[in-house]
Amino acid sequence: MSPRLVGYVPGRSPLHQAHPFTALVLAGTVVVLAFALPAPQGPAALAVALAALALLAGLPRVLLTALGFSLPFWFFLAVIHGVTGESALRVLTVGSQISAMLIAFLLALATVHPARLVDALLQRGVPFSLAYLLSATLQAVPRLRRQATDIVEAQRCRGLRVRGSIWRRVSAIVPLAIPLVLGARGEAGERAMALDARGAAAPAHRTPLEPPADSIAQRIARWLLAAAAVAAVVWRIAA
Amino acid sequence: MSVLLEGVSFRYPGSDTDALHEVSLALRPGEVTLVTGRLGAGCSTLLLVVAGLAPHATGGTRSGEVATLECDPASRDGRKVLAGRVGLLLPTPWTQLSGMSVTVEEEVAFGPANLGWRRPRIAEAVQHAMERFGVTHLARRDPRTLSGGELQRVMFAGVLAMEPEVLLLDEPALELDPAGAASMYELLRSLAEQCTVLLASTDLDRVAAVAGRALLLDRGSLVADGTVEDVLGSDGAVATGCSTTVADIARAAGLAPGYPLTVSDAVQRMRR
Repeated sequence: MSPRLVGYVPGRSPLHQAHPFTALVLAGTVVVLAFALPAPQGPAALAVALAALALLAGLPRVLLTALGFSLPFWFFLAVIHGVTGESALRVLTVGSQISAMLIAFLLALATVHPARLVDALLQRGVPFSLAYLLSATLQAVPRLRRQATDIVEAQRCRGLRVRGSIWRRVSAIVPLAIPLVLGARGEAGERAMALDARGAAAPAHRTPLEPPADSIAQRIARWLLAAAAVAAVVWRIAA
Repeated sequence: MSVLLEGVSFRYPGSDTDALHEVSLALRPGEVTLVTGRLGAGCSTLLLVVAGLAPHATGGTRSGEVATLECDPASRDGRKVLAGRVGLLLPTPWTQLSGMSVTVEEEVAFGPANLGWRRPRIAEAVQHAMERFGVTHLARRDPRTLSGGELQRVMFAGVLAMEPEVLLLDEPALELDPAGAASMYELLRSLAEQCTVLLASTDLDRVAAVAGRALLLDRGSLVADGTVEDVLGSDGAVATGCSTTVADIARAAGLAPGYPLTVSDAVQRMRR
């Protein structure tokens, strides 16, 4: 799987041009709505709507990635609960909730430019170290995924068999996980030194390179999304 | 004096030996100084100590006096004063990526932006640095998709865009092809006119023609400090593999120490 399947994908869709906070508020709202809306139709409709949004944004790969991540959940839910009667509704509810959340977050990752997110946070007076930490966290998944792919390839070249029986797959985890953890740790140390040397800890206030534009319409949209989330929670509690 | 070390020792956490032991030296602006030695000699550590990252980022203990641009680089005040004035290029370019840039241009601008420069100044510095390293055509590319050599040049441009007064380079040509390495070393000559350059390298065949001064480290101790010809042309340096191929051949041919370092040097001596 290409590293581009997770992480920022350049584009010109309205979602790409939206303020980073708008995309993040949308993702957060989806999480709340997925659990607060009546199930299973609520989360299922939410997943379908987000899928349509991803397609309109020209990001079909987001859907493929979400599918790749959510299929095992669907499978195990079906195995545990069964696929008939009430059980099927339970599977559909939980599966839709997971799928909606996955699509929302992958969509946010794909459309929020990490540097623009940092710029937006700096504009709001957030210290650079905190803004960078948030941005780096969002970037960590694709980076670790790339490293894991490299390690799998390297270990396979050295004769490690990572396919086959469950036992073989489980026993292959240690020689894959240890280099990944140690490599990530070493890389984090080197990256910290490089960032330090590049002025990341400088006393000056970092200059936002391209501060994202924020319109009144987007602010209203964010407030509406937040209000929708609150309303859904209140309705759920009252129901 | 740009850099002054007086009896500096450094030990990494958990180690029972010094990575640097009683090192004293002074670096002046306007020259390229090579620091070399065998594996584990302490060349990279020396750079980290001058930058203040050892012990600030690495941990460990340091003794002796270090003054980089007249500040202790590991002290809190020194780090504030030296931000952006000391540039450090590490050997692995992919670990130096900021992780928040989707274009090469933004990656190069990362350092200057951290220094709080105004946007027009950043744009000018980025353009200039990218032109010097011949990476202008990569400006809109995603840095994660570059080859190792391209990324090395981009990271070097990122360091240079901060307009440092002291430039610390750890194996800067590790990822470059022969032609790219040659042009990069050529660039060091002109950079040295504006700043102090300390270069840790084992690529001695190429560096010997660029550096004016050489430091030879052995297990953390400074064993030789002088002109490149004196240090790398010595019997000790050649015998331990810390010299050029030409010097190695000259020694094997039975010539007296003070071996020629480059082909042109050897040819000149033969003509005499």
